[in-house]
This record gives sequence, structure tokens and C-alpha cells, in this order.
Amino acid sequence: MVMVYYSERMRIKISQGKRCSRTKSRRIQMQSLQLSSPSGTVDSADFSQQHCGTVPTRETHLNLDIQSLCGALIYTRSSAQTATSFSSPSGPRGQASQSPHRDILEFHGPEGTGKTEMLYHLTARCILPKSEGGLEVEVLFIDTDYHFDMLRLVTVLEHRLSQSCEEVVKRCLGRFFLVYCSSSIQLLLTLYSLEAMFCGHPSLRLLIVDSLSAFYWIDRVNGGESVNLQESTLKKCSQFLEKLVKEYRLVLFATTQSIMRKTSHLREGPSSAFTHPSDAGVDYRPYLCKAWQQVVKHRIFFSKDDSKTSNQFSLVSRHLKSNNLKKHFFIIGESGVEFCSYVS
Amino acid sequence: MGLLRAGLCPGLTQDVVQLLRGRGIRTVVDLVSADLEEVAQKCGLSYKALVALRRVLLAQFSAFPFNGADLYEELKTSTAILSTGIESLDKLLDAGLYTGEVTEIVGGPGSGKTQVCLCVAANVAHGLQQNVLYIDSSGGLTGSRLLQLLQARTPDEEEQAGALQRIQVVHAFDIFQMLDALQDLRSTVAQQVTNHMTRERDSGKLKPALGRSWSFVPSTRILLDTGEGAGASGSQRTACLIKSPRLPTGFQETVDIGTWGTLKQSPALQGHPT
Repeated sequence: MVMVYYSERMRIKISQGKRCSRTKSRRIQMQSLQLSSPSGTVDSADFSQQHCGTVPTRETHLNLDIQSLCGALIYTRSSAQTATSFSSPSGPRGQASQSPHRDILEFHGPEGTGKTEMLYHLTARCILPKSEGGLEVEVLFIDTDYHFDMLRLVTVLEHRLSQSCEEVVKRCLGRFFLVYCSSSIQLLLTLYSLEAMFCGHPSLRLLIVDSLSAFYWIDRVNGGESVNLQESTLKKCSQFLEKLVKEYRLVLFATTQSIMRKTSHLREGPSSAFTHPSDAGVDYRPYLCKAWQQVVKHRIFFSKDDSKTSNQFSLVSRHLKSNNLKKHFFIIGESGVEFCSYVS
Repeated sequence: MGLLRAGLCPGLTQDVVQLLRGRGIRTVVDLVSADLEEVAQKCGLSYKALVALRRVLLAQFSAFPFNGADLYEELKTSTAILSTGIESLDKLLDAGLYTGEVTEIVGGPGSGKTQVCLCVAANVAHGLQQNVLYIDSSGGLTGSRLLQLLQARTPDEEEQAGALQRIQVVHAFDIFQMLDALQDLRSTVAQQVTNHMTRERDSGKLKPALGRSWSFVPSTRILLDTGEGAGASGSQRTACLIKSPRLPTGFQETVDIGTWGTLKQSPALQGHPT
């Protein structure tokens, strides 16, 4: 018996023409709709209206565009603004009016609900070349719980490229940067030292932190009795992240895990800004510091349909200022996240 | 990490530390986030020196970003997949245990978790000729059972002894002993852990123990269950994949504990070079 190395295994899999037959049949059941236009710019006006009855434009597995994702979430922006910010990465900095995409989005949900998969989907969308439907921008991924699976990202890329040769994959990966952090202080200091990187890479537009709540318990222990002390480092991180996003016109996606159990008495409180009538199914209890709650502009709740028959995931996105809610369904196949055709 | 003290980095002398402390700058974070011009004025230190100090501290304590292409190159050659020796389990795990990941086996009492661990250890030590660190906190490891599993694979006593030598056992009955054992681990490993089941407070459903904070850690989780209607052989178990980063979940395979440890294709493998 020989120990198999991953590279060998992928070669065997590809030579045998093996694809996961289970996902194929599921994909046929769910008709996933192509939701992005080839040019990459999308009218961010009412999302549901836009793709009702749209015919799939491409054979590939490309689905939701970051712009349309952000567009779906940002209801007050005009389409013109959406087009400028992402299609001109080398645009002038410091202009006050432009780029509504200084956005901070939080992915929240219990484990196994597809948050990290969604991040791979967005990353792939960003680093793929324009010819393959990508945005050709750079991504910085900060991994705090050592969960990042590079091999999974490569699988997603290979499925989305029309000709997946090593060269092209490597070039895509050249636009991707990964940082591991093992404590909240290291996270803060890393953010400070990465400021130089943002200066030097004008095409670095997407910042991902997976996950922001990884050090919650450790910080609580280290802070002792005082809540201020417990939250101080994360508070500084949140404030510095906001500063980076504003100054360098980034989009920040941060995941937080639902580690708190939903308690029934939370619903009865009068000041519950977090319990919305349609939130009834959402298990959300805020536990991170106030500074972070204030900085987040959109919160997206992930959940999985628990029944044995369906393997569907869903996300509910909420714009915190306008309190608008939108729900989307998706499945996860070999090529990553695929959105389903119906939107409620 | 945290407090500024003399010798922490070049350029940080006792005098500098005292001066900074006098102005309320005690930790690395304080210095890095402070307005250095203001600090230079108040403390009477040179602005250039402070900027250099800040740069050195950041270089020392912050994490360094890796480029995706380089990381991929490295991973391609160093990630290995370790077969568990149980065919049905390998199917659920997409060929086996991946190095760099944590795989969790969950099940009620008597569901066969320890048997899985022993079988995997025997397979990796004998079949793959790799070292195994077995941390036992439940007392379920017996040398004789390991020997039995190895004897079923090969009649050669030297091979059995060699395999047993590659398995290092650590008994850890509290979390600190376990952390100590893990501290010394240096190389790339594939980790497999077992976990018990508890009941949820409200609904009474069975769920893995250790709560939500732990549940995020493993990337793969397999549930072992005593099959209902197992019929004749009480050694039947069903393994169900409930969390995986690369395969769809919900698929089940039946495994027979009784026949674990016997390689089905033994005649063919006897002459196979490893």
C-alpha cells in the first residue's frame, strides 16, 4: 500500500474522468440560473425583477457577481456608481464622492452552513481573469481559525475556467494573499502592518476575515472581570478595519460563528434591535463588541435546510440601516456555490 | 506578547521603555497605534527612532502574508491522504484522512469509535509505514487489541513489532496533559479525534458533545451509529457523513466492526512493495 499524495490523487481523478455523480444529478434537479451579465457590470436596482425570466448567457458555472451580490444588498445605490467602483480598480483615490463599495458585510451562521464556501465563491469571482468572467482584482484573506483549504479553492477555480491549465490557475492564485493569525493582538498588529500592502497594491479590493469571532473566548478569559478589557482588542480591530476600508476603498467580508444559543427571553425585550418579525427562524444573538456592531453595514445569515431530502442552503441578507431583508437559496457543488433560480 | 520591555527588540532599551511608560505606552499595541509625532515630542525621543522601532515591532509580531501561488506549490507536494484501512470509511472521506485537517468521529457508547481509531492506527503504522501519535484519554487502547489487528494483516512477527514501535501512546487524562503532548508535534499531521454524543436541551435530539465552539474546528465529521435492524451480526455499524469540505453530506455506509483489521485483498498485497 502506498501513501497517496494529493497531487497524485487529483491526477488519477482527472484521468479517470471522475466527477462527483451525486452533485450532477442534484444540479439537474435544481435549475441554477446564470445571474451575471458577461460584461461584469450589473444594474443594482431591484434584484428579483432583474433576473426573472433571464436566459442563462454562458455555459460556465459562474453565478452571482459580487456587484449583484452587493447590489442585492445595497438598495440605495444607483447603477452608475456600482459600475465605476469595480470596473476601474486603478481609479483615483481620495475622491470623496465615489465608490459606495466601502462596505462591511458580516456572514453569520452556525457551522456547516456554507459561509466559507461562499467566501471561496467570492474569491474565485475576484481572482479569475476578465476573459473568464472574473474581476481580476486581488484578494487578501485573513484566516484566524486555520480553516482555509487551498486545495478546495483550486478545485473551484479549475471548474470555472474554460481551460484549466496550471499556468492559468497559478496566475489567478498570484492575485490571492493569505495570512494566518493566532490571536486577536496578532490580528491587530497584522492589520497595521498590512496597511503598507494596501498602499502598494492598488488592485487589492477585497478583504476577507474568516472568522472574526475565533478569539472570543480567549479574549474573555484574558480580560478578566472587566468587559471593556475583554473587548478592547476586538474594538481596536473593528475601528482599524473601518479605517482601512474607508481609506483604501475596500469591501470587507467577515464571518462570525453562531456560538451562542438563542434564548427565548431575548424576543420579549423592547429594545431588541435584532429581533425582526421575519427573523423568527434566525438564530442570532449579538455577542461581539459594540464597536463591531456599529461598523457592520449588512448582516447575512446562513442556514441549512435540515431535512434529509434537500441539500439546500439559504442566506438572508439584511441591510442594517434600511432593515431590508432578502432571501436567497443555493447549493454547493464541485464548482462551489450555485445560486438557485427562485428568490423570495 | 504584549508588554514592552527592554530587549524585546533591537532599539528598545530600558530608558526608552521607562520614557514610554511614563506617557502611558505600556504595550506593543499602544506604541503601534500611537501618534508617533506626539510621542516624540512628549517623551523627548527621536521621531525617526520611534518610526524604526514601530517597524521592527510590526515585523516581529505580525503575521506575514503568503502568496497563493507559492502556497499552492507547497501544498501540492506536502499534502498526503492517509487511507484508514476501512474501505467504506475511505469512501466517505474521499480516499482517507487528509493531512492538515481534523476529522471527527462521533458516536454514542459502544458505537465503535475506539475501534476505528485502533484500526486507523494499525493501518497507518503497518500499511503506510508512518508514525502515529495515539493520545488516549478514555483508556480504550489495549496493546493486545492492536497486536490482534496487526496479526490479522501480516503473520511476520518482525513487521508486527516494527509497526507497534511506530505507534507512540500517550495517556492524557486532563486537558493540560493533552496540550503538552500536542505542543511537541512539529510535522504535518492528519488529526483524527473522537467525540461523544449528548442530547439537546430543548428538543431531545442527539448531537455531538463539546458544544458549538468546538463544532467549528473539525472539517470533517462522521457519525457512527448502531444500525437499526442490524439483524444477525451485532457488529454492524452505519457511518454517516455529516460534515465535509469536499463531499456532499448525508451519505451513509455500513461498516462491520467484526471484520475490521482483515485486509480483504491480502493475497495480492503480500508481495506489494511499500
